Amino acid sequence: MTELQRLRNAFRTSLDLAPDAPVDDLQYQDNAQWDSLAHMSLVAAIEDEFDIMIDTDDVINMSSFAEAVRILGKYGVTFDE
Amino acid sequence: MTLLHPQARLIDATSGEVADGAVLRSLVDAAVAEYAGRPAGAVFALMSTDIPTIARYLAALEAGRPIALLDPQLARESLLDFVDRFAPVLVTGATGEPPAGYRADGGDWVRQGPAAAVHPDLGLMLTTSGSTGNPKLVRLSGAAVLANAEAIAQSLGITAGEVAPTTLPLFYSYGMSVLNSHLLRGATVVLERTGILQRDFWNATTTYGFTSMAAVPYQYEMLRRLRFDPAKYPTLRTLTQAGGRLRTELVQDFAARMDAVGGRFFVMYGQTEAAPRMATLPPDRLADKLGSVGLALPGGSFAIEDDEVVYRGPNVMLGYAETAADLARGDDLGGVLRTGDLGRLDDEGFLFLTGRLKRIGKVFGVRVNLDDVERHLTGHGAVAAVAGEDKLHVFVEGADQAQAQVVRKELAAWLDTHFSGLDVRGIDALPLLPTGKVDYRTLEASL
Repeated sequence: MTELQRLRNAFRTSLDLAPDAPVDDLQYQDNAQWDSLAHMSLVAAIEDEFDIMIDTDDVINMSSFAEAVRILGKYGVTFDE
Repeated sequence: MTLLHPQARLIDATSGEVADGAVLRSLVDAAVAEYAGRPAGAVFALMSTDIPTIARYLAALEAGRPIALLDPQLARESLLDFVDRFAPVLVTGATGEPPAGYRADGGDWVRQGPAAAVHPDLGLMLTTSGSTGNPKLVRLSGAAVLANAEAIAQSLGITAGEVAPTTLPLFYSYGMSVLNSHLLRGATVVLERTGILQRDFWNATTTYGFTSMAAVPYQYEMLRRLRFDPAKYPTLRTLTQAGGRLRTELVQDFAARMDAVGGRFFVMYGQTEAAPRMATLPPDRLADKLGSVGLALPGGSFAIEDDEVVYRGPNVMLGYAETAADLARGDDLGGVLRTGDLGRLDDEGFLFLTGRLKRIGKVFGVRVNLDDVERHLTGHGAVAAVAGEDKLHVFVEGADQAQAQVVRKELAAWLDTHFSGLDVRGIDALPLLPTGKVDYRTLEASL
């Protein structure tokens, strides 16, 4: 599985979306699934999946899928596809 | 009656729009005039966090027009059920096709025939935050709402200089009480809709100089994850907590964080049925009364009757409403609220809650306190216990079958009962109500 697929799956699991649901354009609070509780679960899932600890600033900046990709770059996760 | 102090101010954090003084007054007056042109009956408001919606809410209270505050995200089916059951004269903020008997008018549904009759004392209605039973409305008088806003403002020492963000929905009694108590004292309420997990919220904290913040237990868990440091926000010196029991470790943690910067952390206790606040723990007594939810608000009092906490005060509801006919009922309770909570009072009048009367299950005929079961299992992560037919069902977040068996055996040993009386299963995530509390009804329905 590529890093991108792993991140997409973390989003789908945390936000309770279908296994093939498109997530690349997701924004925080733009659907009922991505609320504050899901956000906490998402952060925890990403931390587990990539074995990293996400800083406070990054937790509150992670407002879209695209932003999550950018933030993970800071933690050494690269998304070449 | 009015909640609106002439100095009170609303600011929309997204648009920057400010409504205060004559501007806010004229918005409210216009809505009062609009209500005056309507036939008798209640208003059901989809209570979004924005200036026009709040102006209409304040106007309803001033005009003596009973208003029910509903979740704007309410499923259409649930909204139609409310409309069908309570026959309001007006549904504000409603989108989509109106049901039979109503016509669309801008963002409102207007009843075409006569609406359900309402009692002259009825001022405000809220849905119950309770997690069990049928969805019903809590009927509050305008006087009860005003008395509670005044008592809250007094016990928290709210002044015109305070700036409070909306960290909770306004249709939720705790969120509503923050709005009411601040407007009453001429303070500022900033309408913030993103929440504490977003950069925008913390930017607004600095931009508008938030002085206080209200949060429920799951938000305190989030604040801890965010390593909330009040030293970064020099204006933010008051935190309040209600909406269920916050674990003692977090109470101590946040009390210490606020203490370190000369701030205050208030543990509070209430129920929607009491408009909603009943008790506040003064921060300077938190350490020696750890675990207490505090003293009765000014004007209120507690008694323990058969282990149950009974509250008496001017803010107690008139009663519940399950049908349109109930809207015409007067005061069913006479200022006495049996809370359904179990507790004790110490010699200084501090209240300690020990459980919930109605959260009782039976296993093989033996009474089991469901809250105690949950507390006992906290080592296994998030758990929820519900009563079945002489059986106990326990949901454990993220547990697989093997882990569920471990929990089942441990619980059986602790309760000194046979494991066949216990059903333990894993669940991906416990269903939660908009208030963050566990949605026990959904769990019960899943059995």
